[in-house]
Amino acid sequence: MRTQPIMAALFAASVIGFGLAGAVKADSDITVLAGTCYNCHGTEGRSPGSIPSIAGQPYAVLLAQLQAFKAGEARNATVMSRLATGYTDEELEALARYFSEQ
Amino acid sequence: MITRRKILKSLGATALAVPALSMPLVARAQGAAGRVVVVGGGFGGATAAKYIKRRNPDIAVTLVEANSRFYTCPFSNLYLGGLRDFESIGHSYDELTGDYGVELVTGWAQDVDGDAHTLTLASGDVLEYDKLVLSPGIDIRWGAIEGYDEAAAELVPHAWKAGPQTRLLREQLEAMEDGGTFILSAPDNPFRCPPGPYERVSLIANYFKTNKPNSKIIILDAKDNFSKQGLFQAGWEALYGDMIEWVSLSNDGRVVRVDAEAREVETEFGVIHKADVLNVVPPQKAGAIADAAGVTNEGGWAPVDPVTFESRLVPDIHVIGDASVAAPMPKSGFSANAQGKVAAAAIVAAFAGEEPSEPSWANTCYSLIGPEYGISVANVYKVVDGEVVVADGGGVSPADADAEFRRREAVYAEGWYDAIANDTWGTVA
Amino acid sequence: MTETNTNHTFNGISRRAFLAMTGGALALASFPALALSDAWRRVDEINAVVGDADPIAQGVNIELPLVTENGANVPLKVGIGRPMAEGEHVTAIHIYAPRNPFPEIATFRFVDGFDVPEIETRIRLNESQTVFVVAELNSGAVLMGERDVRVTVSGCLTQADTYAADSLFETRVRVAESVANGTPLEVLTLINHPQETGLREDAQGNPVPKRLIERLEARYNGEVAFVAEFNRSISSNPYLRFFITPEESGALDLVWTEDTGASAQFNADITVG
Repeated sequence: MRTQPIMAALFAASVIGFGLAGAVKADSDITVLAGTCYNCHGTEGRSPGSIPSIAGQPYAVLLAQLQAFKAGEARNATVMSRLATGYTDEELEALARYFSEQ
Repeated sequence: MITRRKILKSLGATALAVPALSMPLVARAQGAAGRVVVVGGGFGGATAAKYIKRRNPDIAVTLVEANSRFYTCPFSNLYLGGLRDFESIGHSYDELTGDYGVELVTGWAQDVDGDAHTLTLASGDVLEYDKLVLSPGIDIRWGAIEGYDEAAAELVPHAWKAGPQTRLLREQLEAMEDGGTFILSAPDNPFRCPPGPYERVSLIANYFKTNKPNSKIIILDAKDNFSKQGLFQAGWEALYGDMIEWVSLSNDGRVVRVDAEAREVETEFGVIHKADVLNVVPPQKAGAIADAAGVTNEGGWAPVDPVTFESRLVPDIHVIGDASVAAPMPKSGFSANAQGKVAAAAIVAAFAGEEPSEPSWANTCYSLIGPEYGISVANVYKVVDGEVVVADGGGVSPADADAEFRRREAVYAEGWYDAIANDTWGTVA
Repeated sequence: MTETNTNHTFNGISRRAFLAMTGGALALASFPALALSDAWRRVDEINAVVGDADPIAQGVNIELPLVTENGANVPLKVGIGRPMAEGEHVTAIHIYAPRNPFPEIATFRFVDGFDVPEIETRIRLNESQTVFVVAELNSGAVLMGERDVRVTVSGCLTQADTYAADSLFETRVRVAESVANGTPLEVLTLINHPQETGLREDAQGNPVPKRLIERLEARYNGEVAFVAEFNRSISSNPYLRFFITPEESGALDLVWTEDTGASAQFNADITVG
């Protein structure tokens, strides 16, 4: 909903949506992708505060949760339903795998 | 990922993992896998220093920072609103120096010679680098608003760098009589922390509500819209009634002159507003060292390659955080931390002779409208055709969320602060 | 000229006028000829104004942000920084954004004798693009400048209607009551108006009809001194700073006209001393 230029509403004739989510590059480093998650979930997914830890959770659980966020079907979601939509399914799988192995 | 302690124990000074010996700069580095100097120990710089060491402890990392303790702008609004003590937003460099072997130099970075790869400190000391990371945050554009200079800021704080300015504003708010008027002048984009001015008035309103309930708050804005505007305005009405008045650019909100002695401001079309406590959040630019290094553009910010955050103007200098041009990523502590990690990965890859990995960042900006009323904006960012773009999805908290949702976001705001402070400085809340 | 910290495309003086005024190679250095891309040739609206003239890439100073986080409201300053020959002056400045649905943003017309060709306004940019400024001189010469602007949306920005419907047509003007003879008089203006493009839909999906302030005319002692013609890409609450040069005390009248024919006025007495 915020991915369109702010002018979209003014010039509805030329609405542009970014269809950006490309495939993960083969040489892409999962720790670069995952690093941004640390900011809320703690370094390597070990949370020091009120946001849930994700390190060491089963892969299937993490993936199912991420997919539910992306589909808008997760209960009690706040920011994650907005963030998960920014990742491809492959990226979500890679993130679930990474944090399950921490 | 190997844990840092394991790496430090197993490698020690033996440099088992020196990669890419073919690089001439590595050879110059006297046994280390490379020398990195980081300027600025905030969200960006401290993170970059830490994550370079996490990825390759054999790279020599020196952090140059003027202060021995870092106070964050995020959550300084809670201090201003009386919800936190000042030390709770302060962070030390103990983890960086103790656990990661980062060398801390307490001093002021004065000049950079990009050709010679040297950084000169105000003390006269010269540091050599293979890669330089500048994370200097913002500087104030003194004089951009007539009458608002460094002397004026001692009377009328900006409090846009956490520290003595923040304490001064808090003292003034505490000393203000009930029934007084607090005025905040907000700048045009781009500036540090887009939702910051609006969270600030929210938490000051919360303080007034219980302590000085007859007081009034006016925001004079150089913009016609602002971050999370609809959510803020609905929250203000719900929690504070008509205490907060927002005057937009088109309603003559832009302040063009400040009289610090009289605590008065004049707007573009000539209206004088008198405050009891006046807070001018002035126009900003990249921290001075970025100018000295020649990495800033005419707008005063540093354009960078978003894949590595290396300057587009001077090679081997990476600029991260508020000082860089990373729009549409906001100038936030969250962004600076995320960029610090991407720059760290790119620098480590470069020393190893490898291509940088494709970056991706998220940013979540929480704002508190009241102690139990949180809102957020969250987006994922990617690089397409050499520019940062917003990925699909993202956005702000729902307008129709219930009180429980707002309460949960307030709890998560605290959780975010605990997590990022731990990730950046190792601070344990 | 307003001091700015942005790129100036200094330039453009016709050879004849330039030689007449300076006759020196030294002065050439301060007005370096800058290459103008050919991109303007693909814009019909610009061609229509340029006609057969060979545009001179000199003298048009454009101040725009390199990157804007709000394409709905982009501050723009234009000035002509070119020495004029005796009797030569700018008659019109045109602003174009070729990648907007309607490239013409505005035209500003300067009447003989009121020759401080500097304006400041706020414009809409639909996407990243090159903004063109064309200045017509009474000699027939055409000056042109261009500037790239990257339009992005801050993740922290949300959109909201920014004009107050209950104060539609309310105007704000800042102008000095007195001015020294021969000194330009700055006039700062704003009118509360949505400047509806006719291209957007409301929350229910119904098209919002076009509704534009099309013209702002400044008259001095009854004579037209300056005209601004606004199009769709002037931001809501049209904002304009311009100059006139009154030579005697008199009455300043400002008239804004909407495409419906409705208008708003402002009057002030100016003392010239």
